[in-house]
Amino acid sequence: MNETITKDAGNHERLSDTLTRWRYTYWPDHALGEILSKRWMETAIPVVVLLLVAFSLAQVIPNFLSAASLSDTSRQAGEIGFIVLGMALVMIVGGIDLSVGSMFALTNFCALFLMHVLKWPMMAAIPVTLVFGAALGAVNGILIGYFRLRAFLTTLITLIIYRATYELLTADYATAIAGGMPDSEAWDFLGYGDWVGIPVVVYVYAAVALLGHILLTRLRPGWHITAIGGSRRSAYNTGIAVRRTVAMCYVSSGLLTAVGGIFFASRLATAGGDIGVGLEVTVLTAAVLGGISLGGGNGSVMKALVGTLIVLLIINGITSMSLDGGYNRMVLGAILLSAAAIDIRWLKNKHRIVSKVYVSPTYHSIPPAPSTAPDCGTAWALNDRLRNVSAIGLGRIEGPEDVILDRNDHLYAGSRHGDIIRFLAPDYEEMEVFAHIGGTPLGMAFDREDNLYVCIGGMGLYKVTPERKVEKVTDETNRSFSSINDDSRLRLADDLDITDGGLIFFSEATVRFEMHEWATDGLEARGNGRIICYDTNTGKTNTVIRNLKFPNGVCIASDGQSFLFAETWGCSVKRYWFEGPKKGTTEIVLENLPGFPDNINNSSDGNYWMSLVGMRCPALDLAWKMPGFRSRMAKRVPRDEWLFPNINTGCVLKFNEQGEVLETLWDMGGENHPMITSMREHRGYLFLGGIMNNRVGRIKLENVDPNYVQYDKRWGKIK
Amino acid sequence: MAFVPVAMGFDLAQGWFAGLKKELEPLGVNVISRDPNWSTSAGAQAVTSLISEKPDLMVVHNPDVQTYAKLLRRAEKTGIPVVQINMRSNYDSVMYVGADWVDIGELATNAVVTACQGKSNKIAIVQGALSAAASAYTLKGVENVLAKNPAIKVVSSQAADWDAAKAKGITQTVLKQHPDLCGIVGFWDGMDIGTAAAIKEAGLTGKVFLATSGGGEQKGACDQVKSGGFDLNISYDVPTQASNMASSIKWLLQNEGKTGTAKGSVYTTLIPITKANASVPGTCWKLSQN
Repeated sequence: MNETITKDAGNHERLSDTLTRWRYTYWPDHALGEILSKRWMETAIPVVVLLLVAFSLAQVIPNFLSAASLSDTSRQAGEIGFIVLGMALVMIVGGIDLSVGSMFALTNFCALFLMHVLKWPMMAAIPVTLVFGAALGAVNGILIGYFRLRAFLTTLITLIIYRATYELLTADYATAIAGGMPDSEAWDFLGYGDWVGIPVVVYVYAAVALLGHILLTRLRPGWHITAIGGSRRSAYNTGIAVRRTVAMCYVSSGLLTAVGGIFFASRLATAGGDIGVGLEVTVLTAAVLGGISLGGGNGSVMKALVGTLIVLLIINGITSMSLDGGYNRMVLGAILLSAAAIDIRWLKNKHRIVSKVYVSPTYHSIPPAPSTAPDCGTAWALNDRLRNVSAIGLGRIEGPEDVILDRNDHLYAGSRHGDIIRFLAPDYEEMEVFAHIGGTPLGMAFDREDNLYVCIGGMGLYKVTPERKVEKVTDETNRSFSSINDDSRLRLADDLDITDGGLIFFSEATVRFEMHEWATDGLEARGNGRIICYDTNTGKTNTVIRNLKFPNGVCIASDGQSFLFAETWGCSVKRYWFEGPKKGTTEIVLENLPGFPDNINNSSDGNYWMSLVGMRCPALDLAWKMPGFRSRMAKRVPRDEWLFPNINTGCVLKFNEQGEVLETLWDMGGENHPMITSMREHRGYLFLGGIMNNRVGRIKLENVDPNYVQYDKRWGKIK
Repeated sequence: MAFVPVAMGFDLAQGWFAGLKKELEPLGVNVISRDPNWSTSAGAQAVTSLISEKPDLMVVHNPDVQTYAKLLRRAEKTGIPVVQINMRSNYDSVMYVGADWVDIGELATNAVVTACQGKSNKIAIVQGALSAAASAYTLKGVENVLAKNPAIKVVSSQAADWDAAKAKGITQTVLKQHPDLCGIVGFWDGMDIGTAAAIKEAGLTGKVFLATSGGGEQKGACDQVKSGGFDLNISYDVPTQASNMASSIKWLLQNEGKTGTAKGSVYTTLIPITKANASVPGTCWKLSQN
């Protein structure tokens, strides 16, 4: 447990606090927000609707969910399902295909004509029908994809033309088709056969749906389709072959409709006048019900399937209820209307709802902060020792969160542009971009070969070789099964240190928020961070410690078998043994700090420097014990009015492994060096970094080793 | 027992359904219906799901000869006797009750040929749904008579899919192309109301002989003949058909469908309605009475 417990006057924890603590420890508030933000949640609503519809119809109609009835429903679902898949593709790319009903009739006719009248073998009739369907779709594709005609109007016109063609053809051949029955058992099997009780069409549909899903989610053409649907012009600008992709979607629609037509032909063998009339409405309803957006750019195979099932169950249910046939159309229309309305509202408001629900503050209690008054008499007493800090690179560098010096005395600092800036010794006037990595460079450390390892917020752990080559070290760790969010990704790698044996321990501040939302993590105070270990010998990454409250600075301790780490919201410093007799244990070194600790680095006398990036204030301390209050605030008040941890002013402190604070350095009034995120001692000077600053600070220290070079001391001088 | 017509919302189906209920419900038979509302695939689905519900008997009105054929074979294989009413399928089930369409086609065409004596000898045919039994077999009857009358020329033979609006549209076009048309053979009075309307709009009522057939309901048949819209309406009298069905069904239910390989057809006696007998009470039946 990382909690410290408030005690009242009689040294007992107050009952109300105990109850709050238990409630917030054991109830997973954060789960709801994380589940809602998963991508498959969008399909969840249609699935719920499907289950509701199936359940209520099963109550009203006897045998509705019997095996035979399900088998029949699935046969129909398979046929229409192919067409819905085609329509889904077209809708995702931003178009619409109203001609599917007529294409269905025409391909049905084609299959019947070939099988019944010309008596072709099935193996020849099927491919020809498929090509025919693709050709019908290609007409739409060329007109809409290449000539850029409007999809609605164009497919409406092809609807009319194809239907007229169908009527002309059936006028001549309908009786011939009705008269001749094909002699093919395989054809009958297609229409009526099943394997292990499941109709053939379901197997084919499952295969096609799986391929479609892989195409849409994993393969490049599928991404292109979604991109074009999202924004056609942007897709064009990025070099996607927009016209060809759009045309191919309409060809697929025709092809898939032909598949449905073939199965329909083998099942019913009818070329009646009303085949496919109004089918486009049913298919559209299915697609929209499943959650595929009419505007484009949003859709999936699963949604198409769920929509198909809902529509079919409703149609079959109404037919089975002996209601007047007209009710069918009315009910479907009403459902389409309400489904479209709900879907649009959900899509528009989803982000707002999720963001309201996602932030889940929890109970966090720390004892009152020790006084830092100038006359308090402890090492915390405010002073002005940083008043004489001089500035390096004033106005020329932005956001140096961490600073480090190499063995040649050159100074390195990250900048918010994603650069590693190097200031050349000895005067640090000349500055250059040592390497450009991207993201937000945070903590840095050198290894024995003088490779510079950097934690990049938003990207992961990177390294820069002495030849200035940038290499990614790791950007993922093992995924824990107890986390709903995908915690194998690194969101905010903060600080690192390297052991003598080549292990790199680095902190990841939070797994629930992206880098720019670090302050919300402070509001939650939930313990979402972890310490991760990358082994340079094996290349493997794994998580070592979990559930830390914004772990920040990491520093290998003097025994080489443990490291110190700071928890910013925990206001504490702890020590973890990764080797030796105490391996796996954690001890508290400093707790109840008056501010928020950031980076920790070695000092020349065997102790440790640490920065406090901000100071605690009573309002936030109290709010941390009232999670209900913070939760209501997050839901009702705009984000920029929330209580945030103060990071406007801080200090540097030196402490030892026994947990004693030896000295502190402040800048009262914040005139010279207001906020400090890290510091490095080098050859008698202390260099200061601050993520909001436009300079690197330097101050001469009294009574320290003037020749101290951090890495020479650890690993000896380079030859 | 279950009744699946092409649609419930017109006079034939309503009459059959009412007649079946009147005869069978007093005997304790539960008569239910399904309404595909003119959709072939909805009808196929209704028949399919009924088969899995295993009724004691099914009465089926086929939209065409092909769609239900396999389904009805499957139904009878699982032990459900099927009575096909008025429009049959390619599969012969245990019982067919309905009109002899070839006969109707011949009667209608003979009347048109007679009316065309001394006129232009041009006739048109307004068919129903091309692959429906009523349409296909009637056409056969028409062709039988035309073979014996080579002077008659068929200037148009199109399908109106049982839809009055379509029939009207087709007839309007034909009359514009051939204003001297002497006769039209229509395949169903329900749709030929449109044909008659087109003739009336062209001002040719009485000059173009319209022969059709139907269930013989008062408004659809006798009134139309009285007013001159139809010149001949061959009625297969729905109440008679319903009672024919009921007798067969009683026999089938008593034998629990175990009738071996026996198959039968009960052809309805036809009542040709012309101006001569259109006003005679009893020629037609009223829907409200049932």
